Amino acid sequence: MISTNLISSALERGIAVSPGIAIGPAFLFAKVSFDVEKISIDSKVLKNELSRFEDAVRRAERDLNKIISITREKLGEHSATIFEAQLLMLRDQSLYPEVVDLIEKSSVNAGYAVQTVMTKHRRLMEASDSEYLRERANDLLDIQERIIRHLRRGRILSAVDENSIVISENLTAADIILFSRKGILGCVTDFGGPTSHVSIMARALHVPAIVSTHGITNVVKPGDLIILDGIKGEVLVNPDEATLAHYVSKQERYSRLVQEDKTLVPLPAETLDGHHVGLQANLELREELVQLAEYGAEGIGLYRTEMALLMEGRALVTETEQFTHYLEVVEAARPNTTTFRILDLGGDKMLPMGNREHNPFLGWRGIRIMLDKMELLVPNLRAMLRASAFGPVRILLPMVSSIREVRSFREIMQNTMLDLKAEGIDFDPNVPMGVMVEVPSVALAADQFARETDFFSIGTNDLTQYVLAVDRGNDLVAHLYDEMHPAVLQLIQMTTTAAKAAGIPVSLCGELATNLRAVPVLLGLGVDTFSASPIYLPGIKRVIRAMKMSEGQALAKKALIASDPAEFRAVMDKWLDEHACGVSFFLEGKQTA
Amino acid sequence: MIEREVTVTNRAGLHTRPASMIVRKASQFRSEFFIQKDGYEINGKSIIGVMTLAAEHGATLILQFDGEDEIEAADALALLFEDGFGEEK
Repeated sequence: MISTNLISSALERGIAVSPGIAIGPAFLFAKVSFDVEKISIDSKVLKNELSRFEDAVRRAERDLNKIISITREKLGEHSATIFEAQLLMLRDQSLYPEVVDLIEKSSVNAGYAVQTVMTKHRRLMEASDSEYLRERANDLLDIQERIIRHLRRGRILSAVDENSIVISENLTAADIILFSRKGILGCVTDFGGPTSHVSIMARALHVPAIVSTHGITNVVKPGDLIILDGIKGEVLVNPDEATLAHYVSKQERYSRLVQEDKTLVPLPAETLDGHHVGLQANLELREELVQLAEYGAEGIGLYRTEMALLMEGRALVTETEQFTHYLEVVEAARPNTTTFRILDLGGDKMLPMGNREHNPFLGWRGIRIMLDKMELLVPNLRAMLRASAFGPVRILLPMVSSIREVRSFREIMQNTMLDLKAEGIDFDPNVPMGVMVEVPSVALAADQFARETDFFSIGTNDLTQYVLAVDRGNDLVAHLYDEMHPAVLQLIQMTTTAAKAAGIPVSLCGELATNLRAVPVLLGLGVDTFSASPIYLPGIKRVIRAMKMSEGQALAKKALIASDPAEFRAVMDKWLDEHACGVSFFLEGKQTA
Repeated sequence: MIEREVTVTNRAGLHTRPASMIVRKASQFRSEFFIQKDGYEINGKSIIGVMTLAAEHGATLILQFDGEDEIEAADALALLFEDGFGEEK
């Protein structure tokens, strides 16, 4: 540990994207600043500059070969494709010779030459009409940075200490794959969101991670002692002795809990009085499919189809590509059900379609876009229907607000089925169609929706933001965001009551499912199934197995009329502490209000 | 110098994986290899070049080979296109 007088403590908050607690020294992983200085090289040592370049390329190749083999092993062949392409770019016939040429003819340093050549090609790609090519410009940037890093600091990766916490402005999926091999303890980045590729990789590789800290790199110095709380989303810099001791014990409790959770995986999600509760996974990428078995998910409650599309670029995601993808998903989930959600674009997940809206969350998003854009909807739907021939599939509509949308969609689905039939393509003609309950109108008119749909899936994040009129990304009002607000709970109850009357199932796929204190209340309100990131399922199961349905119902009754949310939270925390021992510290991170 | 006309038969078009396959295959031969599309020509041994084509399903390309093993190279590359890069057509 460091002991100088200049140590300053700090607390930084971000979004916890991969749970766990890490304690160790900071390693600052610097992304190259964009301008490499131009230096004139004496013609006598130009040879040396050329061999420095070749050397850096060779090291970058070594990195990428390692990344490719780890990716293949841990995440599958499909995920390695992009790194294989990067490997080819390193010695690309229109890049490598151009760099060499520039070094020789203009007598400049290798770093400057790399930057100049790569930037030129990148600009061309960025200017392309093709979304796919613009996306590939990032690959070029990745290898540019990789080469320059090697030119500058020699063996960069060996500098990543085994027991350090990597702090960076941003990381690529490749970075995190290599780091995990190096046995780093965790990582924190200034940018990124919970569904960015790096976050998904961190979860898949079990590296505790926090993203979106907005400035951690300005606060932390190399070697500072860091506590990364990947449950709460907090980074503590140079904590005092007492705090450190607290976290050391928290870390122990957490790893014990994780061990115990493993023993829960094969056990049923059943209350003490014998009610079975469905536990399903929220997923969005092929890389995550392995987690179904790992965390004991009974199928997929929400497969977000827009993610692959946003990552791979719109132009390429044909029906066949989507079908190939969905087939893989269905096969991984079989014999359990896969719930595919129709592309949910808009809001904060925007494709460049040229529309700038003043209020995107109340604008053109979800099913509203899809019903206007048949060229997007039809391939998406056909791919889902085709996948339904290979295992149980359900289709879920996002952002529905009116029954007319359900009817329009149903008609399109029926026509699509007729087309498939005419083409002799197999599908399940009885594939269930359900709606997301995220716009309050659906909960309020749940009776009507229950008559015309086959299941409900409650999305608590949007439901809460719409009911309370609070954007939780807005610091000025974020404290008003409360997923357990009695108004939200009442809408959930209206939904489950209507569903029960119509005999259709209700699942809940919002973040509220991962707030363990809410689990008994939600069961009491009549939710049948929880769907969450697989990593959270054992914790939810632990709570379910420690409660009786009658207790849940009693707690729900209280929650519906709780006038002081904070007070009720305390009641729930106490209950959890007494019943599902060990999970209490999960609650610290969920102080949403 | 020989030329071959090929069609992109796989549904997804020349995205990252097929582009890598083309470059890797072409690099096994000594012959120079260029691809033409709509009057635009790129070096077929350059992944950046092949990606820049952004050739979609159904696009027609002219493969041009020049060198001692041009026939073998042309056969090998044409076969990749015919196979649709092992992807769905």
